[in-house]
Amino acid sequence: MSSDPEKMMSKADKMTKLTLTRWSADWRGATELYEQAANGFRASSKYERAKVALEKASQGQVMQSSPWDAAKHMESAAALAQKLSIWNEVADFYRKASELYVECGRAQPASDALGKAARALEDVKPEDAIQLYTDACEILEEDGRDQMAFDLYRACASVYIKLEKFTDAATFFLRLGVAADKCDATNSQCKAYLSAIIVYLYGHDLKQAEKCYNDCSQIDAFLKSDQNRAASRLLTAYNEGDIEEIKKVACSSTVSNLDHAIIKLARKLPTGDVTAVQMNAGDDLDEDDLT
Amino acid sequence: MTVIDILTRVDTICKKYDKYDVDKQRESNISGDDAFARLYGAFETQIETALEKAEIVAKEKNRASAVAMNAEIRRTKARLAEEVPKLQRLAVKRVKGLTTEELAARNDLVLALPARIEAIPDGTAGGTKSTSSAWAPSATSRPDIKFDSDGRFDDDYFQESHESSQFRQEFEMRKIKQASGDQGLDMISEGLDALKNMASDMNEELDRQVPLMDEIDSKVDRATSDLKNTNVRLKDTVNQLRSSRNFCIDIVLLCIVLGIAAYLYNVLK
Repeated sequence: MSSDPEKMMSKADKMTKLTLTRWSADWRGATELYEQAANGFRASSKYERAKVALEKASQGQVMQSSPWDAAKHMESAAALAQKLSIWNEVADFYRKASELYVECGRAQPASDALGKAARALEDVKPEDAIQLYTDACEILEEDGRDQMAFDLYRACASVYIKLEKFTDAATFFLRLGVAADKCDATNSQCKAYLSAIIVYLYGHDLKQAEKCYNDCSQIDAFLKSDQNRAASRLLTAYNEGDIEEIKKVACSSTVSNLDHAIIKLARKLPTGDVTAVQMNAGDDLDEDDLT
Repeated sequence: MTVIDILTRVDTICKKYDKYDVDKQRESNISGDDAFARLYGAFETQIETALEKAEIVAKEKNRASAVAMNAEIRRTKARLAEEVPKLQRLAVKRVKGLTTEELAARNDLVLALPARIEAIPDGTAGGTKSTSSAWAPSATSRPDIKFDSDGRFDDDYFQESHESSQFRQEFEMRKIKQASGDQGLDMISEGLDALKNMASDMNEELDRQVPLMDEIDSKVDRATSDLKNTNVRLKDTVNQLRSSRNFCIDIVLLCIVLGIAAYLYNVLK
């Protein structure tokens, strides 16, 4: 075998093309050559060519009915595409890899592949990233491994927060709560509900926050938790327009145990919302007048 | 004799000897007489029940019920304190068949009531109370000097006694110590919160890893059995290869080849 990757590539290409002399493509030999070529290209930092080689190697593996190897090659190709910042290819490759993993019946690597894709695209194409995260979570939930999905939900919600879509972020936290409920992970569940309430409050949506709080109070695990107390203190402080109390709750240890993004929101809480607080103070005066 | 007969006999005997029942006589006396005596009797009973409850609280181990009972005692005390003025008004009313000394005695009893009510322990008694209780005994031990007309409102009256200033100092010191103790407790509570959070996160992580470990277990079991199989087959193959018959054949053939080579060498030389 020649050590020049280009020569290997052309040889492998010839092996796979059907001509008069060759009536069936020799995928095994071709795949080997493609893999070796890819290694050669990577060693010489020709990432574009390496990526192409890996794609072809993966296809060869598919032809040989070994989806696992094919998926692995696809993932490496996607990593190279990430290095080259070709974002749509990154998404495509990772998706293909994930499908191949699902073919193997291995849900965890499938969702891992989508997760890696989403993380790569977080800054560049957040909507795609969100879609990838959602798909990854669905794959895991179908397989019944909800606990692995927690991190994905949290990452997705933080992407939404960065995009300032607070209702969507809160929805994801509630989905996290549902997943946590299925696995009896009460601590994560309560933290998820408290995060959802804080996100609603940050989005100037006191009514939603209160509705959310009422819904969550139906759940025993939440009712008995520290997070419940913190949430009720926060909501009463909001209703009374007591900024000091809001700040105290935001700096309490219960809130400091949540996600980093949520802690930042909580610390900013009253200042993001001064008009609503004043409106609530006005409501209090009206009540006094009636009595 | 049937049960009914026994009951009727017991009833008649009780009625016959009722006049010797001291408690009942006292009760009928009191209820017959005047409003003051009735009310005073009621007061006495209430104070007694409160004192009993206070004793039970002192022996009570369960903090929650102790607190609840203390709260009840305090409520009773407040109610009694409210009704004392009513009793006072009744005390000064002249009732027929009552001597002036008795009237004076009644007044004293009413005046002593607030002190007695306060004296019921309700779990909040502390150093500051001893200043007020320090005054109470001196009043009740002098029945012929009435409090209201006591004109000795001179400087000594309002001067802090040595005891009371000591008590005040101790109260302040205790308050400061408690504040610093509270700070320490706050820090401990924060540390405990962090520990609790970390522990529950660890718990969840371990729960997450349990099924993974089970999978690893089964996969490793399969791999070991495969390896064992392969090893056995390999051993068989190697044994076959190393069998003595093959060795002898190899050696013989080797000798023949060497012999041929030596013969050729000789010939060519």
